[in-house]
Amino acid sequence: MNGYSGKILFINLSENQISTIETSLYSREYLGGRGIGVKLLYDMVRPKQDPLGPENILVFMTGPLTGTFTPSSGRVDIVTTSPESNLLGGSNAGGFWGPELKWAGYDGVVIKGKAKNPVYIQIYNDEVNIKDAQKLWGKDVFETVKILRQGNEENQVACIGPAGENKSNLSGIAFNFRNYAARAGVGAVMGAKNLKAIAVRGTKGSDIYDTKALQEICLEIQNREKMMPLYKDAPSWHWKLFQSLEKDGKAFFGNYEPFLWEDRIKAVQNVKEFIQQNHLKPESCLTCPLRCWAHFSVRGEEGAPIIACQGTWPSIAYFMKLSDPYYIWRIYTLCQKLGLDVGGTSAVMALAADLYEMGVISFKDTKGVLFELGNGKAFAEAIEKLAKREDFGDILAEGIKKAVQKIGRRAERYAVHSKGGTELWLMEVRPFKGAALACAVTDSGSCNRATYAFPDFYYRSMQKQAKMVAKNIVGKEEAADPTTYDYKPKTVLFYENMHIFADSLGVCAIPFQPVGLELWSRSFSACTGIKLQLNDLMLTVERIRTLERLFNCREGLKREDDTLSERLFKEAIKEGPWKGEVLDREKFEAMKDEYYFLRGWDKDGRPTEKTLEKLGLK
Amino acid sequence: MKKVLIVNLEKCVGCRTCELICSLTHERRCNPAEARITVIKFEEKGQNIPMYCQQCETPVCEAVCPAKAIYRDSLTGAMLVDTKRCIGCRMCILACPIGGLSFHPTRKEIIKCDLCKGDPACVKYCPEGAFEVVSLDAIGVKRRRENIRKFSSYLDMMTGGKE
Repeated sequence: MNGYSGKILFINLSENQISTIETSLYSREYLGGRGIGVKLLYDMVRPKQDPLGPENILVFMTGPLTGTFTPSSGRVDIVTTSPESNLLGGSNAGGFWGPELKWAGYDGVVIKGKAKNPVYIQIYNDEVNIKDAQKLWGKDVFETVKILRQGNEENQVACIGPAGENKSNLSGIAFNFRNYAARAGVGAVMGAKNLKAIAVRGTKGSDIYDTKALQEICLEIQNREKMMPLYKDAPSWHWKLFQSLEKDGKAFFGNYEPFLWEDRIKAVQNVKEFIQQNHLKPESCLTCPLRCWAHFSVRGEEGAPIIACQGTWPSIAYFMKLSDPYYIWRIYTLCQKLGLDVGGTSAVMALAADLYEMGVISFKDTKGVLFELGNGKAFAEAIEKLAKREDFGDILAEGIKKAVQKIGRRAERYAVHSKGGTELWLMEVRPFKGAALACAVTDSGSCNRATYAFPDFYYRSMQKQAKMVAKNIVGKEEAADPTTYDYKPKTVLFYENMHIFADSLGVCAIPFQPVGLELWSRSFSACTGIKLQLNDLMLTVERIRTLERLFNCREGLKREDDTLSERLFKEAIKEGPWKGEVLDREKFEAMKDEYYFLRGWDKDGRPTEKTLEKLGLK
Repeated sequence: MKKVLIVNLEKCVGCRTCELICSLTHERRCNPAEARITVIKFEEKGQNIPMYCQQCETPVCEAVCPAKAIYRDSLTGAMLVDTKRCIGCRMCILACPIGGLSFHPTRKEIIKCDLCKGDPACVKYCPEGAFEVVSLDAIGVKRRRENIRKFSSYLDMMTGGKE
């Protein structure tokens, strides 16, 4: 099977059973990656299972382009039922693990059941072994990777840290030292299965249909990626991202405070100096020219890889209001080692500080741990407790929505989250009506599986480009204005589709749009030998998206669940370029109506009979 | 004049494009295990070092080969393997001080960098332009110039000049 490896590994940890599934059963209708992941989840998990129970499955799925020569094809998609939202949960990671799995002869791994004792899985081509991991249990991510490479230095390692072991809903799955599938609590699902790690080594490689064509196409893709503004900026993006957030008015501070943080400019300057005073060496995922992460070493301290493009540092600085870069760095490495989602954890810390200040929780609740914006030392302590589920950390480990429910009292009033309870990422959504809609209708877990590169987000700094993009998508330049509710459902639909393509093909969502659909589908044809008509592609994407919806409907999702927390509809922004912006409930619901209609779903957000028939989902 | 393939380690970002283009051009597949080059990563330190045959002036591989299967290509100066003569004893792998050769996982043959008939694919496809084919008489002065650039900017700083 060109492009694909042809087999998906199925491991039932309860039964100690290892078998394989033919990829070709699914690839025609669901492409790969996220698409096949959703299909497997829908077929294999009965409705309303406990996400942390043995019945839930955890899918690691590569796409047909993963590990081929195609630029930026180091991806792997994770699909499961999320313990944070009890809905579909998905996350995606770059690096080298997905490609290695493909080269070992597998397009994906499905984990079912629960091991009696902690185990890890070692894959070496056809040899797949479930091994005892009691010595690894309790070890942090860096230690685990190092141990699993002793004597097997070429191993690529997917693992969880203590946060995943303790089933924190904020825990992700780490791939080697840096790359994370961080969102939707996927690490907790792995921990609940008593699975510490999956180490992979593959020497089989993948077959390519037309190597000459692939080489030509890939050079073209590479050149397009080099024309992206990010390409030039990537090595300094680690601090420039802060500036970009400032320029576009995208950042929010603390626990979604109405005012700007007066130290924000100073914080950026500090980070810039901190990076320049230490050593930063740009790095890339497999075959990617973008170098959006780097290895960073601080004098006298252990070095670690850091990422620029997803805004982990700004989350720490802005949510916790930390202007001391040393603590930003410490908290960042702490989260990486403990196996925590940096954005989600920072948001939860900011919430706790808010609750503390408002007197909803007290010293007694937190068992003496201080939650105070700007106090990096105290936050570092609190984060360790969160990962270990000690004291108040046990409640915060649930993630924002479930934590405020447990705290009770008036706590819910202070919470900000997107659909299902997932923490919002770095971007403010009140002025960006399209992003707000995307965060509410998303069925794939995290909202950044749909909103990356929204034209709304760069409207202030690059208005001309934003208008051009909006015109190409919906035919109207004014659609680019973030604050208008008009045309937004169409934009959301378009960006969701693009993300589904990228996540299903196995390429990174960041260069996906700048390179353009045509080159990616040509690369797909060169790798697999399958000619795809644009019509078929659109139908495939619609099918994947609607199946995501069907999964959530089956879990009991209703129209009213497609929303964000109340605060975003009640509290307006009080300072800065978006002063006065708040979400309007009526207009918001109208956007949903239009979005459902465009997707072929009814007023309750359920796919219609006609849509199911068209997509072959009946 | 003989030409050699050199790499600028400061430029390498560890994306392994060279491994895949090497495998693709030589084997028509994507498989690092079939590539003639491997980026050795020390991930904890953020170091990436592409390793491949340096086409030695005194090739130990040639000297130890009991089948006299390794010879120098007069055109490119690359050390090549005559697969018809090769008996697969792997003595060359054992003897090579830098790990320039490897064994094909399925064809069971010695594989090594052949400089792509003088026009290496890794040079063309490396997104960072880290590889270069340089004539032997230029390699020393090239490195001197590259490395002294940093020093030169120090001098600029001290004398108030511009970079």
